[in-house]
Amino acid sequence: MGVTPLPRLSPAKPGSGGRQALSGYRLRHLIEPYVLLLPALSVLLVFFFRPALFNIVLSFQRISLFELGRGGKWVGLANFVALVQDPLTELALRNTIFWLTAMTVSLRIALGLVLALLLNTLVIRRWHLSGLARSLVLIPWVTPPVVAVAAWQWLLQARYGAVNQLLVETGLLTDGIPFLARSSTVWWAITAIVVWRELPFVVIALLASLQSIPDEIYEAARIDGANERRILYHVTLPLLRPVLAVVTLLITIWTFNNFLYVWLATRGGPGVRTQVLATQMYLEAFVNYRLGYGAAVGVLMGLIMLVFSVVYFNTAFKKSLGQA
Amino acid sequence: MSRVRAGQLAQDLLVVGLTFALLLGLAFPTLWIFLTSIRPEQEVFSDTFRLISSTLTLESYRTLLAKTTFPTYIRNSLVVSLITTVTSVAISLLAAYSFSRHRFRFRGVLLIMVVFSQLFPYVILITPIYVFFYHLKLVNTTLGLIIAYIATTVPFCVYMLLGYLDSVPRELDEAAIVDGCSTIRVICSVVLPVAWPGVAATAIYSFAQSWNEYLIALTLVTRNELKTVPVGLASFFGEYTTRWDLVMTASVLATVPTLIIFLVLQRHLVSGLATGAVKQ
Repeated sequence: MGVTPLPRLSPAKPGSGGRQALSGYRLRHLIEPYVLLLPALSVLLVFFFRPALFNIVLSFQRISLFELGRGGKWVGLANFVALVQDPLTELALRNTIFWLTAMTVSLRIALGLVLALLLNTLVIRRWHLSGLARSLVLIPWVTPPVVAVAAWQWLLQARYGAVNQLLVETGLLTDGIPFLARSSTVWWAITAIVVWRELPFVVIALLASLQSIPDEIYEAARIDGANERRILYHVTLPLLRPVLAVVTLLITIWTFNNFLYVWLATRGGPGVRTQVLATQMYLEAFVNYRLGYGAAVGVLMGLIMLVFSVVYFNTAFKKSLGQA
Repeated sequence: MSRVRAGQLAQDLLVVGLTFALLLGLAFPTLWIFLTSIRPEQEVFSDTFRLISSTLTLESYRTLLAKTTFPTYIRNSLVVSLITTVTSVAISLLAAYSFSRHRFRFRGVLLIMVVFSQLFPYVILITPIYVFFYHLKLVNTTLGLIIAYIATTVPFCVYMLLGYLDSVPRELDEAAIVDGCSTIRVICSVVLPVAWPGVAATAIYSFAQSWNEYLIALTLVTRNELKTVPVGLASFFGEYTTRWDLVMTASVLATVPTLIIFLVLQRHLVSGLATGAVKQ
């Protein structure tokens, strides 16, 4: 970098210039911060926070997609009562928590950790394979989610899909299985899609954190006589834990609300086998035209996410906000 | 000695072999999309597995581009994503500059608001946004889609840019301010040249986000000639008799923009995205 120019504190021009510059400088510091924030904040207020509050209003109304012009009718807690009584809600909640979130998040963390540790090994760096390896890791992530679902639907297709053809040709199966249409396999198939597409983020985030661990720490452990396994359990993993916690929380929040994977892979089927909260919300609002009821599902999701967000803030930001 | 070295080599080969076996497995589905797209139609629908077909053809590309509405979807997506990216990065840059360079009342609260909206699941907003946009007559318009995408990309853009701007030495712009530069000039001719890798990474993130988005586009746009690539592509494989050759060809075209950008610039982008997202 070049030489950083020093701020000239006394203005070059003689006369009244000094005073004007100073008051201009002060004015700048008084209102300018808010002026600069105005475009971004107004977009957020109008198209983010206002809808979020409006969603709560909608959830207390009966309003159909066809009578938007007339507005809704206040029904008090009727939507929430119906939501609690609907057996589908419990199923969707269970599916969202166990399959869509817990299952895919834990698999991603486990696999992501293994891959990040492999990519961080000395031999990969010594043989100059880091760049190639990182490019390959990124491939699922640069594949758009809609394309990811299309690709897996095609791979898992019962007759022409590559997975079924390989399983039949190696003799593991006698007939192809429509993995996404059979209730015993459908959740595993969706899990495969989500884990595949979203794994790279975990690998890259953990790898960045692994590479920031100084080599001296490993050397010191080796001099003290620790073997590789002990170094992994007593040096690497403890140092990785803060990032691991933040990554786990982030992907939990992102996945819990995901609509796309389940909707495109199965539309919530077969039957209601893979219904999750996000697809339930969409179905109620835009297929059954019950916007108020859909909004109530949204409120339920928002409340659950609020808990996760608070945990996330406490884990990731307490330190940095305290400093600011 | 040589025995030790041979043992070390065997271990190295094992690690490299295992790593790349896993990585090739990860890359396979995307590779398979491409391999399917250059296969003759009768071989796509054949009962036996074949990694690479006997003859390669671009026939399905010709069919897709000439006989379907996919080119319209690509154009719509490009328009929406590019306008979103430019606008979103511009207004986020102003906001991030303010957060980075100024200490003012409510700074902490406003910053928390931005981070919170980055976490806030916009999936939940789809119902109220539809009602709101209906009253504003923004349903079934490109403008409506762009506004919605700006709102969903701004939080992360501000947050990412803030990290980059904080790393630009303050002395640089303070010198320019004392020299009499306006803030816009300071941002354009002092901050931008230094922080451009970060700004580029943010722009690419915002482009990819708008290019990939499905739910908002599905809900706000129902007229076929306004649909974007994800919604158009999804409508191709929702049908009972799916032309998988065309779906895979469309998938290749949907993946190409982000794939190229990321693979060319991966070293710069990835570290920024990873540190931006999990910054302690």
